[in-house]
Amino acid sequence: MSRPFLAALASLVLYLMTLAGVASAATQRSADEVFRLGVERAADHSLVLTWTALPGHYLYRESLKAQRPDGTRLALVTPAGEQKDDLNFGPTEIYHGQTQALIPAGGAPATGTIIVTYQGCAEQGICYPPIVKSLDLATGAVAKAAPIGVPERSPAAAAPAAAPAGLFSGSLALTLASFLGFGLLLSLTPCIFPMIPILSGMLAQAGGRLSARRGLVLSGVYVLAMALAYAALGVAAALSGRNLQIALQTPLALGLMSLVFVALALSMFGLFDLQLPQSWSTRLAGGKPGRGGSLGGAAMLGFTAALIVGPCVTPPLAAALIYVAQTGDMARGAAALFALGLGMGLPLVLFGTFGARILPRSGPWLVKAKQGFGFVFIGLAIWMLARVLPADVTLALWGLLAIAGGAWFGAYALIRDHLRLLPPLLAVALALYGLVLVGAAATGRQDPLRLAMRLDGAGAVEPESTAAVRVVSTSAAFDAALAEARAASRPILVDFTADWCTICREIDRTVMRDPAIRARLDTITIIRADLTVYGSDGQALMDRFGVVGPPTLLFIDAGSGREVDEARTTGATTVDAFSAMLAKAGA
Amino acid sequence: MNRRTLISRLAGLSASGILAAICPALVGIPAALGQEVDSDAILNDPEAPTAGNPKGDVTIVAFLDYNCPFCKKSAPDLDRIVKTDGKIRLVYKDWPILTEASVYGAQLAIAAHYQAQYDAVHHALMGIPGMRISKETMLEAVKASGVDMVRLQADLGARADAITALLRRNLAQADSIGLQGTPAYLVGPFRTSTLDYAGFKQIVTDARAKQAAK
Repeated sequence: MSRPFLAALASLVLYLMTLAGVASAATQRSADEVFRLGVERAADHSLVLTWTALPGHYLYRESLKAQRPDGTRLALVTPAGEQKDDLNFGPTEIYHGQTQALIPAGGAPATGTIIVTYQGCAEQGICYPPIVKSLDLATGAVAKAAPIGVPERSPAAAAPAAAPAGLFSGSLALTLASFLGFGLLLSLTPCIFPMIPILSGMLAQAGGRLSARRGLVLSGVYVLAMALAYAALGVAAALSGRNLQIALQTPLALGLMSLVFVALALSMFGLFDLQLPQSWSTRLAGGKPGRGGSLGGAAMLGFTAALIVGPCVTPPLAAALIYVAQTGDMARGAAALFALGLGMGLPLVLFGTFGARILPRSGPWLVKAKQGFGFVFIGLAIWMLARVLPADVTLALWGLLAIAGGAWFGAYALIRDHLRLLPPLLAVALALYGLVLVGAAATGRQDPLRLAMRLDGAGAVEPESTAAVRVVSTSAAFDAALAEARAASRPILVDFTADWCTICREIDRTVMRDPAIRARLDTITIIRADLTVYGSDGQALMDRFGVVGPPTLLFIDAGSGREVDEARTTGATTVDAFSAMLAKAGA
Repeated sequence: MNRRTLISRLAGLSASGILAAICPALVGIPAALGQEVDSDAILNDPEAPTAGNPKGDVTIVAFLDYNCPFCKKSAPDLDRIVKTDGKIRLVYKDWPILTEASVYGAQLAIAAHYQAQYDAVHHALMGIPGMRISKETMLEAVKASGVDMVRLQADLGARADAITALLRRNLAQADSIGLQGTPAYLVGPFRTSTLDYAGFKQIVTDARAKQAAK
């Protein structure tokens, strides 16, 4: 054999070998061929997920994930993997061959589908995109699923809190009952407080002609109108994507509502008799006007009060909206919110029915009671305006109101024949308190309650938490705050709040003042999204996180920039619940 | 268009892509591409960033992701072969499929192309070791690359649609030829994945031989 021939043969062999090498590197199997997923239900009802990777391929432990279709993470117990630490990978754990992970019994839904995500590479040098599968738990069938959640999700825009959606599963009756109960619970929060003086004032205005039955009817109408307002909120929100109650926290709407209360107050003082036009009240009240309070008036007060005065339906509204968005069943969402309003109002109906008996029948006491409610109404007007007025102006107004109240009742008592000791003393006390408040306003104090505590000598000065708090109201400011916060590498709490949000204030006063919570807040960064002034900026911030309204507390992981799963709270919360959230966020 | 819709569209594209049949490695690209795939669009996308010798006789098309460890591993060898060979034309296809931050990195790199700084930004991003690199870390690296950040941000905004369109084209092209994971290199008529310098050198030689034989 000639040498040239041998050389040619050798080079041919080499060439073929090279081609073979190229072929093995170039033949790309699909990720589905490489990684297979199976599911089984174990005897103890836990779900066992089994992945099989072809030889030469591996999965990342941290990529294994199970979720409900709405994005809620399911607890997944994964075994320890092989350590891999490579400059190009960083430290990570991987699985070769077969791997089993477990969703414990109780953690896995009994039926329906779950979404499973996993990701891996081939040793020869290919990394596959994340694989997303839906598992039908009834049949064990595995299907390709549209990706939800990471990585196709933008970081700071997580799915809205989905837990309340469970309230909608089951029959309509169950849904309504749940929301009725939800409403009853809400009626135990400060949400409902402003409603009580309004209703009492209305009943007092009806005065001596008020029977228990009439009280029931009036408060019933008031509560029905309130419930209707909540249902309307739901429909408006579903149609427009806006939380109307927040949109109504404008100086104009609040000012108008305050004016209504001032007018009511003046009417209480007897300056004029406030009634709907005769024809209206006749129509509204079924033809018998003047029988002790107008039904139309009660309805209007109930409706507007629910919309403007007591803005704290964020959690149920969020639940109802998510439901409407998922199912398109607006009627059911509205009905649920209506039931919620009824639940919130039931204690009011009781109060209206039985409280009516306590009210004086007639005489100077009734006059006094009405005048007292007049001051309460003015107080409500100030309370609402406080959402848009500077704090020192508000405080001065409170002071003036207290002085006026003291003077009014004092003067009243003085001109009476038989002077009693109590009213003038009260009057003097009130007037003094008013003077103190005005003085405080002049020296820049802000909160009448805290000032009162200080006068008690008990409250001393409460130390503010030393946690870094950034207050933002625009997306741009939020981005800047977020970037800064992430640089600090501490867990980030995003607190959607507003001055007019009663529950937010309640949370600040209770949960956030808890010593243990405060200590932990010191270790995190807080970004406060202030929604006090409603506008497109605030809405954009809310849209970004799927937030329906304040109070909403959520955490962002500084490392990934993502919202921490299952660590969001919407509405009122407790020290324990918030503490659990902090733990999830790593604080 | 905001980033969320961009990402979901990108994701939709990649998911809807065909699960192409396994391509024999030695099939020439034009044949592998079949009738409906326009190989010219892959090789000569006018907006695709390129490097190497524009008149080179072999073209390498690199489908890469900035969170792909094997891309990062083979990047220095790819650079080296392009430089030492001298007659290779390199076409970059940003193919962000692994993580969400990958999309962001790709957007940054393509935006830098408008100020002729793709190469600098690309190498800055490929030079970050690891596979779970966050957007912030990517942004830091890009800032450090010396690119005009004001101009970059302006282009990210003003040319958002064009950038998205290019990324979508890349995703569609990868799907159309059945690419499954990163990295993927088309070298002349061949397709391959992670290679070392010797591997690149060999396959370029083979590609020349194959092209000459035609």
